[in-house]
Parts: sequence; C-alpha cells; structure tokens
Amino acid sequence: MKRKDFLSSIIPMGAVFSNIARGKLVLNDPDASSKIPPYLKKGDTVGICCVAGYITLEEVKPSVDKIKEWGFDIKLGDTIGKRDHTFGGTDQERLNDLQQMLNDTNIKAILCARGGYGSIRIIDKLNFTKFIAHPKWIIGFSDATVLHAHINRNFGIATIHSKMCNSFPDDWKTADADQVISIESIRKCFTGEKMEYSIPSSAKNKTGIGHGILIGGNLKTIETLADSVSDINTDGKILFVEDKDEYLYSIDRMFWNLKRSGKLDNLKGLIIGGFKTMKDDPGEEFGMTLEEIVLEKITDCNYPVCFDFPVGHQKNNMALKCGIIHKLAVSDAASTLTEIK
Amino acid sequence: MIKIPPYLKKGDTIGITCPAGYLEKEKVKACISTLQKWGFEVMVGKTLGSSSRNYFSGTDEQRLNELQAMLDDDSIKAVLCGRGGYGVGRIIDDIDFSNFKRKPKWIIGFSDITVLHSHLNSKLKIASLHAPMASAFNDGENEYIQSFHKALIGKKRKYTCIKHPLNKEGTATGELVGGNLALLTNLIGTSSDINTNKKILFIEDISEYIYSIDRMFYQLKRSGKLISLAGLIIGGFTEIKDTVRPFGKTVYEVINDIVKEYDYPVCFNFPVSHGKENYALKVGIQHQLKITSKIVSLSEL
Repeated sequence: MKRKDFLSSIIPMGAVFSNIARGKLVLNDPDASSKIPPYLKKGDTVGICCVAGYITLEEVKPSVDKIKEWGFDIKLGDTIGKRDHTFGGTDQERLNDLQQMLNDTNIKAILCARGGYGSIRIIDKLNFTKFIAHPKWIIGFSDATVLHAHINRNFGIATIHSKMCNSFPDDWKTADADQVISIESIRKCFTGEKMEYSIPSSAKNKTGIGHGILIGGNLKTIETLADSVSDINTDGKILFVEDKDEYLYSIDRMFWNLKRSGKLDNLKGLIIGGFKTMKDDPGEEFGMTLEEIVLEKITDCNYPVCFDFPVGHQKNNMALKCGIIHKLAVSDAASTLTEIK
Repeated sequence: MIKIPPYLKKGDTIGITCPAGYLEKEKVKACISTLQKWGFEVMVGKTLGSSSRNYFSGTDEQRLNELQAMLDDDSIKAVLCGRGGYGVGRIIDDIDFSNFKRKPKWIIGFSDITVLHSHLNSKLKIASLHAPMASAFNDGENEYIQSFHKALIGKKRKYTCIKHPLNKEGTATGELVGGNLALLTNLIGTSSDINTNKKILFIEDISEYIYSIDRMFYQLKRSGKLISLAGLIIGGFTEIKDTVRPFGKTVYEVINDIVKEYDYPVCFNFPVSHGKENYALKVGIQHQLKITSKIVSLSEL
C-alpha cells in the first residue's frame, strides 16, 4: 500500500476515535437529540430554589400563585428567604437544596428563583446520578447558564432557558404584554408544546437556514466556563447569547474568546439576544456597534445570524429548550426559530 | 526552554507603541526623558497621541502595523507599550512573529499587555517584561521605575515585601508567569492560554467587582490552572467595587478561600498592581519565591 493511501485510510478512523474519546460523538450527531425530561402534567410538582442570589418569600409569591393557577403543585426549597450576604444561603445550603430537588423524584421541574452569582461555586459538588436516571426540567437563565452548559456538555439532557421567579409580575393586569407572553412560554415549554418564535428581521442579519441542537445563555458566564468540565461544545449547534451591564469593549473581548477558542467556527446558526450595554465613558467611545462586533468575528462563516432575538435580561425573554434540535431560518422578512424534536 | 532576549546596553533603542488604548503625547514626556537619561535612544510610534477619535490609539491595522514594524526592526532592542486599556486581543492573531522569534527583544508592559506576555510564553517561549508603562514615569523615578531599568539592563532582581496575615509560608522554585486576572481568564481556551503547571503564577487586577474576582478564580481553578502551581503571588487589586448586596468578604479573603486547599506557598499584596507599587517582573524566567513568617522575597535565578 502506498503511504498516501495508507494515511487516507486511517484518518477517518482517527477522527472517530478522537470524537469518542472527547465524548462528542453522540452529541455531535445531528440526528441524535438529547434526552428530554418528561413533560409536566397537571398536578405535577415544580420545585423552586436559590442556586445563586437571595430572594425573599414575598418576591417568589407571584410565581408560586401563577404556577399553582396553571395547575401545578409547588415545593419551596429551604433556600427561599435564606440569605448569606449576596447569596441565597451558604454554598452548603444552596447545594443541599438543589441536590434534594434533583434527587426527589416527586419534583418534575426545578425553577431557579433568580440569577445573580453563585452556581459555579456549587456545580462541582452536585451529584447528578439520580438526575441522569430520572431527568427533570431545570429552568432559569443568566447565572443558571452554568447549569445549562454543564448539563448539556456532560449529560445531554435538555433544559429550559427562561425567566425566573423574580420576573413574575405582582399585578398581571398591568403587566407588560411581552413579559406575560414570556412567562406563558415557560408553561408551554415544560408541558411539551413545540415552540416556535418568529420576529421581524433586522437589517444586520445574515440570512440562511440552519439545523442543530440549541445551546447558549449568558455570554460572560459561557466565557467563565472555558476549558472547564462545564465548557460547551458548540460544533454543529445553534448558539444563542445575551448579556447585560457590560461595556462594548468587554463584549468585544468576550466574542474574541469565543472566536479564538473555536466556538464560532462550526455553528449551524447564531442568535444574538438582548445586550443592554453600559454607556462608554466620555472620550472612550468604543467606535463599533454590537452588530459590528459580532459580524467581524464571523466574516468567514456561512451560517445564519439573527440579531435582536427576544432572549435576555429584558421583558421579552422567551423560554428556549436548550439541548433540543431547532431550525433557525433567517430571511429578509423574518427570523424563525422552530423546535424540531 | 525559554529564550531570553538580549539585555539592553547604553545607546540601544527602545520603541514605544500603543497596541491598545489611546494615550496622549503629554503623558509620555517624562517616560521618554527618563529613558534618554538612562542612555537609551527612543523611537516613538505614530499611535502615540494619534488622531484617533475613539477608545483605541489607532485602527486595528495601524496598531498592528506599528507593533509589527517594531518587532521586525532589528535596530529596536525593546518595545515598550505606552499603555494598556483594551485592544491587543484584537490583533494578536495577525502579528507575524517569525522575525521576532529569530531575534527576540524585550516586550514591556502590563494589564492588557498580558495578552502578549501569555502569547509569548505559551506559543513562542520567549521571556518578556511585566512592568510599569509610560504614564507611571510621571510619578518620578521611584523604586518601581528603577526596577524597570535594572531588569532591562540584565541585573538579577530580588524583591521583598512585608508579610500578610493570609500568606502561606514555604519556598517555591519555578518559571514566573502571570499578569492581569481578567485577561488571563479571557485567554482560557485560546491558543495564547498559559500553562501554569509547576510555575509561579502572579495575578493583579483593577476595577472589578468582588463577585467577579470570585468567579474568575473559580474559572482558574476549574480550568486546572491552580492545582499544580509551584507558588502563587497575589498582587494589588485596586479600585475594587462591591454589589449593592455586599459580597461579605474582602478580595483577599475570596482568593484565600479558593486556594487554601493547596499546599504551595501563597503571598498577598505583593507589589505588582495598577497602583504605583509595580515591580518589573521577568515573565518566563526561573524565580524563587520564599515566604516566611517575617518576609516575602521573589528572586530571579
């Protein structure tokens, strides 16, 4: 056998082996969807706990009332109303609360009460054995991106990226329509409705169609997970990112991290959610828009890109099923994200 | 094996360029006259006091071209970055280091320049100088500015600082690496990311929230950067911010909580920072870190 032929015959095998070794093979298979926790039926129990920042009992009441009105029981964790400085209880208390809820097979979904900061302090101490055997919906966003990323990367179990308890309005009659729709979308997600969101196109979008597992969350949090066991693998996936209270230079630096760590190379689509940026200091204007910051990183890429998608720290923050195959179709008229299976 | 660029002699030329944020010409005067007083020629790039109207000292292309020209010009023996800010990460992958690799020279700066130090350490294996930049010379020729001079002409350096109650005693020997925490974490997962195995790591930062420093240290830990260090040097954390709901710990307590499980020596409040206290440190060169109950010393080997 000529050396050239020999080499070409072993390269595909090598590629397969390296995929297996890195645990990517299954997750990368575009036909394989991840494990989907059982959807909720009326009477099922939703657990609420604090994995990060603290929240009072009074602040979770609107969400408790609403979820009960939807026909579900609520189990409030011990961390609700607990406070350790900025956290909803000590690391140990937050860890215990979430661990109990992961292990309790009567709880069919766990809603994080709010974000803030703190999930990364407990993620490596959680035992997911029971959760893997009996998956349930983990719901939240912002700091909870740690949970979405970790669960996707390690267990391939679907999760829901959505508003949390602190976003449920006190008065539904005067609540913002987008806020109401966003909260309704949580119920639709975990009761098993196929989700589809369509928005008018932004002039900066890149048109096209992509299919892939949906993955993403808070940009800063994703950067914080780089090269850790919770780091996301974005190959063949549709990535969504959002952030708030960051300077444009900082957003630019984070997108360089995504680009330079290879996370933008092999996407099937890119969804840019809300980015409430900090105003540049006088005389320190960054000189680029968010759209320019994003697009300059992916000039060589052909996948569709959608800006202004309703996900982020804002009223219109639609529930998204992470870990499930979606289709992103971006045309001149509209951008549509559709759950496939 | 790390390559050490030739140390400077009187009459050698130092190039000053701004690869990141904008810097007014006014602020470089003291720096230029001090370098000249030390016997060096100074070549000033156009990015200094440029006509740029935004954050940067020039377009990516202008900043890249100037740094590239100074790397390639054999008559320039050291490149001093005028200031940090933000911007090296935007051009690092476009720099052609082939000439520099054959004929290394000292790259000097800190803060955003951590991108260059890390890239040089991890990809090119060439030593560089983490040191005060142009504006710091406006404070007069203090011991930190003097340390810049001595390091550059090749004097072996030994720095000492007073003890801190959180210090962990011990002696460590290893290659010195480090820089700005936000940049070190931003480089994780990229080709400029540093390997910290068996090395002495130094870290400083400015203007960060305490929770954010906690998160970045968790990132260092979770990406494997803390577990097998030889030693850890925690520098100054200046202009630190806290959230409305206080984090409840000082920066040094936060860091100590994360690193206390490790056995290697750790010192706090070492004079490397965005404040005046900022000794010139040779990144990539073997050092000994000695922490006793009385004093901390960092010696170049």
